[in-house]
Amino acid sequence: MNLISFLNSPAAKKLGWALCGLAVAGMAILPMTHFGSNAELFTLTLMLTSIGVAINWNITGGFTGYVDFGHAVWFGLGAYVTSMLMAISIKLDPVTLEETVEADGLGTAWGPVPAIIVGALFTGLCAAGIGRATMRLKGPYFSIAMLGTLVAVREIVRVAEPITGGGVGLNLPPYINRPLFYYIHLVLVVVLGVFTWWLRKSQFGTNLIAIREDEIGAEMRGINTIATKVAAFSFSGFSTAVFGGLWAYQNTSVDPDIAFIETRTIDAVLGTLFGGIGTVLGPILGSAGLFWLKEVLWARFTESHLIFQGVLLILLVMYMPKGIAGLFDTRGTSLATIWSKWMPSKDESPDASPTPKSGSGKPVVDTVATSNEGAV
Amino acid sequence: MTVDTLTPNAPTGSPLLTAKGVTKRFGGLTAVNDVDIHVNEGEVIGLIGPNGSGKTTLFDCLSRVQTPEEGSVQFRGQDITNKRPHKVAHLGLARTFQVIRVYRELTVLENLELSLQWKNVPMSKRMLRPGKAVTDKAEKLMDFLLLTRLRDDRAGALSGGQRRLLELGMSLMSDPKLVLLDEATSGVNPSLVEEIKDRIRTVNKELGISFLLVEHDIRFVKDLCSRVVVLNYGQKLAEGSPESIMENRAVIEAYFGADGDEESTVIDDGKVSS
Repeated sequence: MNLISFLNSPAAKKLGWALCGLAVAGMAILPMTHFGSNAELFTLTLMLTSIGVAINWNITGGFTGYVDFGHAVWFGLGAYVTSMLMAISIKLDPVTLEETVEADGLGTAWGPVPAIIVGALFTGLCAAGIGRATMRLKGPYFSIAMLGTLVAVREIVRVAEPITGGGVGLNLPPYINRPLFYYIHLVLVVVLGVFTWWLRKSQFGTNLIAIREDEIGAEMRGINTIATKVAAFSFSGFSTAVFGGLWAYQNTSVDPDIAFIETRTIDAVLGTLFGGIGTVLGPILGSAGLFWLKEVLWARFTESHLIFQGVLLILLVMYMPKGIAGLFDTRGTSLATIWSKWMPSKDESPDASPTPKSGSGKPVVDTVATSNEGAV
Repeated sequence: MTVDTLTPNAPTGSPLLTAKGVTKRFGGLTAVNDVDIHVNEGEVIGLIGPNGSGKTTLFDCLSRVQTPEEGSVQFRGQDITNKRPHKVAHLGLARTFQVIRVYRELTVLENLELSLQWKNVPMSKRMLRPGKAVTDKAEKLMDFLLLTRLRDDRAGALSGGQRRLLELGMSLMSDPKLVLLDEATSGVNPSLVEEIKDRIRTVNKELGISFLLVEHDIRFVKDLCSRVVVLNYGQKLAEGSPESIMENRAVIEAYFGADGDEESTVIDDGKVSS
């Protein structure tokens, strides 16, 4: 039995899941061992954050086929709304040297749990509203619109100084408990991983794949494509915002440039592509692998690590379009496949009926069913 | 072979689909111009015409992929001119496409399961795996359409003819009242064409599902349809029994004298090939 056929066998799949279980168990007992120093736990918490964001990105980008280049906006919004609800400012009296703590941001000074929940819900609503508008666009146009959304929201936050603190940002009540944050993130990522596994199996998840594969066909077969894709997008935003809120609390301060940093999107996209876009395990394996690469290797090249990142992205798209999971599961997809539907190209299937394409000189109305016009 | 899992309709012969004055323009090109068409319950209607005569655009207008600029479409007594396509699908109008639309990354079984419209299923159940009843129905249909051995294959791996059959199965999954078939036999080998013809006839006779089909194979149309509508340059040229259409002067001219069309069209042995 050669390697490829073994990797595609059910036994390999079982082995894969067993290894995942083992990894989770290992991570669960880690803080109790001597490897679980606060610094280690903090790094691992950041890794779990990037895994969580990638899983959420994969729900819209991988399952639904809407490649979101501005996904960091949901992370940033979650972080900011949470911060605005929790923010405090510490003032030092220059004469008496007494510290006074005042509520900042929205002036509510809530506790972390309600703030994170409200922040995530608000972000979910925003995602639904923005998604309803931007998801009319297809393929790369949607990606660019979302990139624009990220930039626009960041600038809005910068301008809305009275409640967001402007470019300086906000401070949160400091609370450092690395093991607690670590466990919260671990549980969230496991729950999210199981959720996406279930989602992929569920009718709703299959409908998402149907939208990715052929949106007009999905609508014709009775799937309410707008409601379905916006619901998925909204959930993705909500769930990303939970990680954003936790990150803000852990970071004890936010400012627009760090909360809405583009790199967070790039990491999610890169991690998912590395692991296998449109698969359940892909974003988890890919983001973990990418994070490890960054920490271990790229920390040595502080100035040039982005070059490695770019080269990796190019190599991935060229030579491993289906990522790591593509070796196991032939049913994954690739960015090229997702986008090829929106690109003018030759019909890829040789056995499809030889239909003249519109735009080949003469107007041929018979083929308009394949165009986007009139699409929902 | 049985199709007993599908719910039979009781054909009453009353109008099922009525389109009046449908007009669709693309810029300066009027693809469909003031076309009236109706399908009664239990009927199989053929829609023929030279390339570029607006058949698929008319299909698109009927199934709401495109919105007609003028005219109205009634289906089962409801005005569907401005309804979303999935709502129209829920009413019982299914269609296939000229360029095959199956979900290439999903298996044959998943493709079929997905095509059940969920119209009577509560929201809570929609989130779960398709139930046994759905899978059973999909398996019966696979059996009926000779797809059983391909159950777990990716649809992208199927041949053109198998995909046509799968698409037909997907349209039947939801117990439709009317199926619009867009070139169900193009790119399909002759023996499979006979199978498709046989399946359509069975479904029509036993379940009372009506069909409106776009076809270039005149023999196929003659064997199946009770009435044929001919389109040319987006307008209705003729309508009548297959025999009367075959003898219609204007129809023969439209096929022969496809003026300046680079693809010459010949009627040969009862079969129009381009």
